[in-house]
Amino acid sequence: MHGSGEALPSIIFGLNPMVFAAILFILTYAVIMTEKINRAIVALLAAGLMILGGVLNQEAAIRGVDFNTIGLLIGMMVIVAITRQSGIFQFLAIWSAKKVNASPWGILVMLSLVTAVTSALLDNVTTVLLIVPVALLITEELKVSAYPYLFSMIFSSNIGGTATLIGDPPNIMIGSALGLTFNDFVLNLAPIVVVAMAVTLIPIYLIWGRRLKAADEDRQRVMAFNEREAITDPLLLKKCLAVITTVILGFVFAHSLGLEAATVAMTGAAVLLLLQCWPLDAEHQSKRVLQAFNEVEWITIFFFVGLFIAVHGLDSTGLLELLAERVLHLTGGDPTATTMTILWSSAVLSAFVDNIPFVATMIPLIKSMAGTFGGPEGLMPLWWALSLGACLGGNGTLIGASANLVVAGFAERAGQPIRFTRFLLIAFPLMLLSIALATVYLYWRYL
Amino acid sequence: MTAQNLMNPNPVTLRPTDTVATAATHILTHRLRHLPVVDDQGRYLGTFSIYSLLRLTLPKAVIMEEGLRDVSFTTETIDGLARRLRERGSEPVGQWLSQDDPVMHPDTPTMEVMLLMLRGRTTSVPVVDQHSNRLEGIIAFWDVLEKLLVETR
Repeated sequence: MHGSGEALPSIIFGLNPMVFAAILFILTYAVIMTEKINRAIVALLAAGLMILGGVLNQEAAIRGVDFNTIGLLIGMMVIVAITRQSGIFQFLAIWSAKKVNASPWGILVMLSLVTAVTSALLDNVTTVLLIVPVALLITEELKVSAYPYLFSMIFSSNIGGTATLIGDPPNIMIGSALGLTFNDFVLNLAPIVVVAMAVTLIPIYLIWGRRLKAADEDRQRVMAFNEREAITDPLLLKKCLAVITTVILGFVFAHSLGLEAATVAMTGAAVLLLLQCWPLDAEHQSKRVLQAFNEVEWITIFFFVGLFIAVHGLDSTGLLELLAERVLHLTGGDPTATTMTILWSSAVLSAFVDNIPFVATMIPLIKSMAGTFGGPEGLMPLWWALSLGACLGGNGTLIGASANLVVAGFAERAGQPIRFTRFLLIAFPLMLLSIALATVYLYWRYL
Repeated sequence: MTAQNLMNPNPVTLRPTDTVATAATHILTHRLRHLPVVDDQGRYLGTFSIYSLLRLTLPKAVIMEEGLRDVSFTTETIDGLARRLRERGSEPVGQWLSQDDPVMHPDTPTMEVMLLMLRGRTTSVPVVDQHSNRLEGIIAFWDVLEKLLVETR
């Protein structure tokens, strides 16, 4: 991705381009971290300044944008926007709660599993946005504290999302930049994700689970819920399930069909829009399409676009290559040391800062290490380390991932707020536990 | 004519420390939809209304922002809901006030009064002194309609 072929001016505002791009990039990071200015605005300004400052021209900037990531994100967001209207998320939550006889600990496990699986196949934020209200209603009926449920759902959404190409933005970016397939992610990450999920539930059981008790009559009220009534539109649900199944099969076979993930997701989105709109008149069609498009998270999308350009600018000055050499110098070019450095540093950093800009920066940096590790094949453990670190690291603090913030918002409104420090004291060690498991896994399987 | 001439200057009021049960009794016996809540000095604090009662009878997961939009899967009986309300009966009304409802001042013109009722989809609006924030009275839609019908005659 780094463009040695692109002609760079030798001086920008009296600075050499590398220094200019580095200062601009560090400022961008700093402003994103303060959260004083919307992150999409910051990233787009940074992209504009990279071009205005002469680090990149517009053509080079556009080459820096990974449209496969953008297309995959938008396609999946449209599919989820339509699917959520069917009530399937609420159905799954209630159905799973009744499967365990509405026992408080059973419900916690089931809701965590539902969250993990839907986060892996769809997206984390929508999953928690729709399942948390059901969890709050159930805990209110059972007269138990919602805190352990919300805590566990935060962990499940981030752990589950780690398992697939489409589960979490870092995976989408890594997969897209390297041409990795859906199956590559499932085969390499799902085993450790299953273990991490199971092991995480143990401390949750010891801390809260074993003390969760509910009266029989309260459990009866939950058992009396009729989950079928949660399906608001059965016909729409059938269409959504058909499209989601086809899209996931599409991801599985994309590589052998010579297709990219964005093609599969965007085509799936178009087909689902067609199924939802046909045979309505023009006005109602526009309304439905607009409704679906309105739910695409444009802030995230434009954040990605700006960031890709800013990172490409930085990369084209050769700075990331220099940084990579520095990292290799520190680890002595040893694959194990380099993999573990990437795993642990990305986990700790992702707990506090947005993992999207971090991963966007790490991708070209790791790519430039190919020479030391005997070509792209030798880099694979590094990529899995980056993915595991960046995705699981999000569990470390309340601000580590966007799903955490959504859950925290619900907790606040339900009058059972999740405090930053109280969360950190248990979440950070638990996150480190999952990284320790990942360490063993990476060592055992790849090193 | 302004709000001053339309209002009932001696409305039923609540103190923030009054209980939800007391408020519910007032609402039912006087068939009132909105009860203004005032402090010791008679300053207006907010309104406790039938909507406050509905909110505190329903689970939080339903009334919260971005909460459950549809609860047709529940099978809660009236007994269950009554129990919820009973459990909340001893809470002070102070926690359940709506504070962003529109208020009027004694010199608010009649047309503005009627427009506020239409826009706010409300049937009664408190009249509050602009400076001291004292509750001067309350205007119910019935007071306005009565005046309108008298004038047409």
